[in-house]
Amino acid sequence: MKIRSLIFGVVTIGCVTSLVLSLRASAAVSDEDFNALKNTVQQMGERIQGLEQTHQQDQQQIQQLKQQLGETQTIATNAAQKAEVAARVQPVHPVPPGSSATHNFTMVGDAEVQFGKVDGGHSAFVLADFAPIFLFRASDDALFEAGFDITLQNNTDQNGNRAAGSSTALNLSFAQLDYLLNDYVTIVAGDMLLPLGTYSERSAGWLNKIPDDPLVRDVLPGNGVGIQLRGSLPAGQSGQMITYSVYGVNGPSSSSTNGTANASDLDLGGNVGNTPNWHSNPGAGGRIGWFYPWKAHYDLELGISGQSGEWSDSGNRLWSAAVVDAALHLGPSFELKGEYMNTWVETDDVGTISPRGWWIQGAYKLSGLDLEFPVINNVELVGRYDTINNNLGAKTDRYTLGYVYYLSNTLLFEGDYEFLHGDGAHNDFVLQLSYGF
Amino acid sequence: MGVTMVMIGGLTSILWSAELISDSKDQKPAKKTEKRLTGAELYAINCNRCHPERYPTEWNPGQWKTVMTHMRVRANLPAAQAKQILKYLQEDSGN
Repeated sequence: MKIRSLIFGVVTIGCVTSLVLSLRASAAVSDEDFNALKNTVQQMGERIQGLEQTHQQDQQQIQQLKQQLGETQTIATNAAQKAEVAARVQPVHPVPPGSSATHNFTMVGDAEVQFGKVDGGHSAFVLADFAPIFLFRASDDALFEAGFDITLQNNTDQNGNRAAGSSTALNLSFAQLDYLLNDYVTIVAGDMLLPLGTYSERSAGWLNKIPDDPLVRDVLPGNGVGIQLRGSLPAGQSGQMITYSVYGVNGPSSSSTNGTANASDLDLGGNVGNTPNWHSNPGAGGRIGWFYPWKAHYDLELGISGQSGEWSDSGNRLWSAAVVDAALHLGPSFELKGEYMNTWVETDDVGTISPRGWWIQGAYKLSGLDLEFPVINNVELVGRYDTINNNLGAKTDRYTLGYVYYLSNTLLFEGDYEFLHGDGAHNDFVLQLSYGF
Repeated sequence: MGVTMVMIGGLTSILWSAELISDSKDQKPAKKTEKRLTGAELYAINCNRCHPERYPTEWNPGQWKTVMTHMRVRANLPAAQAKQILKYLQEDSGN
C-alpha cells in the first residue's frame, strides 16, 4: 500500500512536470501559477520523504517479528521433545471426572485451664488438658483419627513424694481407623473409645459441663484395642434411628506378675501393648441405642451396652459390665442425662465383686426464661449427682452444683462446687476455662 | 475360644444383615413417600445434642467433609442424614 502510494506520488510529479513543461513550451506561465506549482511539488517531496521513513520503520518491525517468531518456534520444539521423552518414561493416566477425594488433614480438640481448691489444701492454677484430635481423611470412605491428652504435673519421686520440677504427661486417648463399608456398617479398628454407655465417646473436656468425670466411670475401661462394627438404621424420615456397635478388644487384664487375679490386680487399661494378649481370648461387647426426636431439640435416647471377657492370665476369671444410658432434651434449654453401670469381677481372693454406680446430670440454659439480660442469657446452670460403690466397703456420693458461661459457642467459663460424702472425701471448688476447636 | 467364636459369628451376622438390607431396599415396592427432613432440620436435631452448635463458617467445605466423617462415626449418624447435614454446612461454609 505504501509502495503504491510512493509510485502514485512519483507518477503524479512526473505528470505535473510534463504538464508544466508543455505549458511553458506552448504558452507563458504566470508567477502565481509557478509558485503554486512549486509549493505543490515541495509538499509532494515532503510526503514522499515521510512515506520513506515509515516504510523503513515497518521494515525494521517486520525484521524483529521474524526474529521473535524464530525464537518461539525453537522453544516449542524443545518443549515437544521433552514431553515426548517424559511420556516414554511414565504412562499418563486420565484424570477421573469430577472432584476426587483428596487427602485432608484437620485438627480439632479442646484445651482446659483450671483453678481449683480442695478443702484443707491450697488453691492452684492447673493446665488441666490440651487434647488435640488429628483427623486425616484419606478418601471418601476412610478416616484416621487420633486423640491425645497432654497435661502438666508436679514431679514426684518413686515413693510418690514431692520432687523438684514438673513433667509433661502425654497419653494417647484413642487412635482408630474408620472405614465406611456401606451406608449401614462402619469398620473401626485400633485403640477405640468403647461404646459402654455414651460418656466415653461424647465427653471430651469442653463437652462435659462439669470439669471432672462421674466417679463411677472408674469401674469401666474408657478405651480398648480391637475392632468394631458400628452403624445406624434410620426408622422413617423423622430422624428416629436405631444405632448399634459390636466389638472385640483385648479387654481388662491382671497387673500381677505372678499370675494371680486378686481384686487389687484388676487392670482396666493395661492390655494394649505389642505383646500377646495377657490372657488367651479377647473380650467382646456392644451397644444398642434408640434415638427418637419428636421435633428439633426435643428428643429421647436410650441405650444398653455391655462387655465380657477373661481378665486373668489363666483365663479362668471373667470381667463383665452392663450399662444403661439415657438422655432427654426438652427444648433448646433443658437437658437431662445419666448412666447406670454394674460390673462383675471374678477374683481369686474375694470371690465375685460388683463395683457399680450411677450418675444423673441436669442442665438448664437461662435463655429459656426469655429475659432481656444479655449476661443471664449466656448462663447455663448445671447439677449432678454421682455415686460409686466398689463393693469392697468403699462408697462415695457426690453432689455438684455449677454453671457454664458461654463466652462464645466454643469458649466456656465453668465453675462448680462439689460436696463429697464417703471415706476420705473432701469438698472441691473448681473454675475452668475450656475451649473447643 | 468360645468368646472368639461368638465374636466371629456376631461380626459375620452383622455383615450379612447389612447386605440383606441393601438388597431388600432395592426390591421393596414403592410406598408412600414421607416428608424428608432437610439438612437444616437434621442439623438442628442432631448437632446440638452433645455440644453447642458449630457454625458453617467455621470451616471450609473440605474440612467439613472431614469433620462430618468423624461425626458420622462418633455419633453413629445414618449415612443419608450425614450427607444431608454436610451439604447444608458446605453451602454456607467459610473459605
